[in-house]
Amino acid sequence: MPRSAARREGSPFTGIGPVYLKELADNLSSIRMLVLTLFIIVFGAFPVASSLQQLRTVVGSDAFLFLRIFTIEPEQVPIPFVQALNFIIPLMAIGLGFDLVNSEFNRRTLSRVLSQPLYRDALLLGKFLAGITTLAVAMVALWLIVFGAGLLLLGLPPRGVEVARGIGFLVVAVAYGGVWLAIAMFFSVIFRSTATSALCSLGLWLFFFILWPMIAQAITMAFVPAEITSLDQFMGLQQLGLALQRVSPGTLFSEAVLGLLNPETRTLGPMLPSQMRGAIMGAPLPLDQSLLLIWPQVTGLIAGMIVVFTASYVIFQREEVRA
Amino acid sequence: MRRLIASLAIVASSALIAAPVLAANPPPATASTSTPAAKGLWLLTDYPSQTVRAGETTSIHFKLQNMGLAPEPLALSVSGVPAGWKIDIMGSGQPVAAAMPAMNDNVSLQLRVDVPKEAKPGSHTVTVHAKGANQSIDLPVTLTIGEIAPAKLTIKSSLPALRGTPRSSFDYNLTVTNDSGKDLTVALTAQAPGNFQTTFTEGYGSNEISSIPIAAGQSKDIKIKVTPPREIKAGDYPVLVKVSAEGASAEQRVTLQISGQGKLSLTTKDGRLSGEATVGKNADYTLVVTNDGTAPLEDVEMSGSVPTNWKVEFNPKRIPSIAPGEKKEVQAVVTPADKAIAGDYVASFRAGARGDSANADFRITVTTSTMWGIVGVGIIAVALLVLLGFVARFGRR
Repeated sequence: MPRSAARREGSPFTGIGPVYLKELADNLSSIRMLVLTLFIIVFGAFPVASSLQQLRTVVGSDAFLFLRIFTIEPEQVPIPFVQALNFIIPLMAIGLGFDLVNSEFNRRTLSRVLSQPLYRDALLLGKFLAGITTLAVAMVALWLIVFGAGLLLLGLPPRGVEVARGIGFLVVAVAYGGVWLAIAMFFSVIFRSTATSALCSLGLWLFFFILWPMIAQAITMAFVPAEITSLDQFMGLQQLGLALQRVSPGTLFSEAVLGLLNPETRTLGPMLPSQMRGAIMGAPLPLDQSLLLIWPQVTGLIAGMIVVFTASYVIFQREEVRA
Repeated sequence: MRRLIASLAIVASSALIAAPVLAANPPPATASTSTPAAKGLWLLTDYPSQTVRAGETTSIHFKLQNMGLAPEPLALSVSGVPAGWKIDIMGSGQPVAAAMPAMNDNVSLQLRVDVPKEAKPGSHTVTVHAKGANQSIDLPVTLTIGEIAPAKLTIKSSLPALRGTPRSSFDYNLTVTNDSGKDLTVALTAQAPGNFQTTFTEGYGSNEISSIPIAAGQSKDIKIKVTPPREIKAGDYPVLVKVSAEGASAEQRVTLQISGQGKLSLTTKDGRLSGEATVGKNADYTLVVTNDGTAPLEDVEMSGSVPTNWKVEFNPKRIPSIAPGEKKEVQAVVTPADKAIAGDYVASFRAGARGDSANADFRITVTTSTMWGIVGVGIIAVALLVLLGFVARFGRR
């Protein structure tokens, strides 16, 4: 359709501002948002409270005490805070995004909106950005609650590097939420029925969390030769298994968070014994090295988010709006 | 049976003969003239003529011997005491006035002779009397005022000169002989140059001693251990060993021949033992090799142990010579392995010469290249470009 490009006037993003602000206002004032935020806070507060209880009894000095709030596995609760987030953030993103576009169809408001002087591009991007912002607001609130509780209960301020790593964690968490928001929006563009789109999003979420690790393992097992003869072969298989696992955004998120919040993490893949020789174990990496370590994961999350958004954009642009 | 009767007859006859002899001849007056196997009472002393010194107290041992007589108290007294002298009879450390030896037994006594300072040279005879109801004997003792042989000590060393480095310990075996007639307690001292440590031990013992008793005429082996200070310069150092007791003393000079020794130390220019390195790239560290010792070190070789697949080179690899107190700089070039993982590693550098070596553990923080970070940003940029491309392609109305 080269003619359409030629026909177009002005920026494709005119009118993005009002759409963004309206969506944001809708999101933040909706009961759904309230429920989701409460859900995420309660789900997060429980492990944090237990971790803090445990950390208060720690006598030994720890250079990264604040980061341990996120990563420590409390005795009473079997999952650490970041793992709870790994599970909950997709749920919140899906909750926000599963009816972004098709609800407008169903309420027959889409044609009315698009009769205003704005392009579809702006509508879709505005909705997406508003969703991300809503997610970010919820995450920042949660993050501040955690740090505040840490300040109150541990009675010592976090160091600058801890705050920097915490902010990095926030960025990764928002990017992770963005991926799932883009996926939910993708389904809301494809399916007219909100129920179908919600089901598909949740199905994909469950698939990645429950089924995919098993499938990845099965695929790896299929590549195992009759006899592993060399270390390289073994390493190759390990790498393959890891690469398959990394298709899941959840793996990328947990690896990135591990690198950020556990400064002692040197590598996210398998490590050869020869690489460990002479290494001082337990020595924390500098922040820039940790960032370099998790950079592929962060890139994967952000690029994945953009790719899924692009796909939904293309489909949305080619859809018939008039009902 | 007949033999038994015969021997009994001999005993009886001898007893019959002895009794009249005893009755006829009263016991001799002094012990020195006594006949053996005699019955009677004696006063005995080893040296009835002795030398005493003016102003000193001398003890003369004597015994009151009773052979075959019924015990009875014997009053003891001394006569012929020169004017100003004080002579006491002592028994078991106490002044006594009488003694009662059992039959066929003796009582040990002492004559404590206090000679005044102003006593003139010459001989005096004092007589000790023991007087009982039936017997009485005398013991004349001649005391001559004169010089007593003074205490005399000699000291000998079998190996008076030893050679070693400042870190070796020098053990000298010495023999101390007491050549005087008295038991002596010998004090041991040593005069050594400043900061030298000297300790005395008994022959093969390990206890540190400062004095040792040596019986008259005997000798004892002692050992002196000299520890020089570590930083001492090469040279000969004498140590004077002195033994002394009651005015007598003897000296022996022993010598430490200390040869110099080099001592290596390894550090960096600013003393910081940590550095950074990038994966697969050379990192230079300036090491400083110092000779803290007292002799030059020849042919110092640098080596290092680094994690597997890492490379380490030194420039220069060998240092021909380092004079005492001199510093030499060495460049260490460390290349982490291509597949090294970011983090902290330990590399150990070593400088070795004959006789000494020095180690320095170096902490290397390995950083990875930022290239992949840029690639990541590029991937995101490409994704955005694709999105913009689609916006341009599919934008409608």
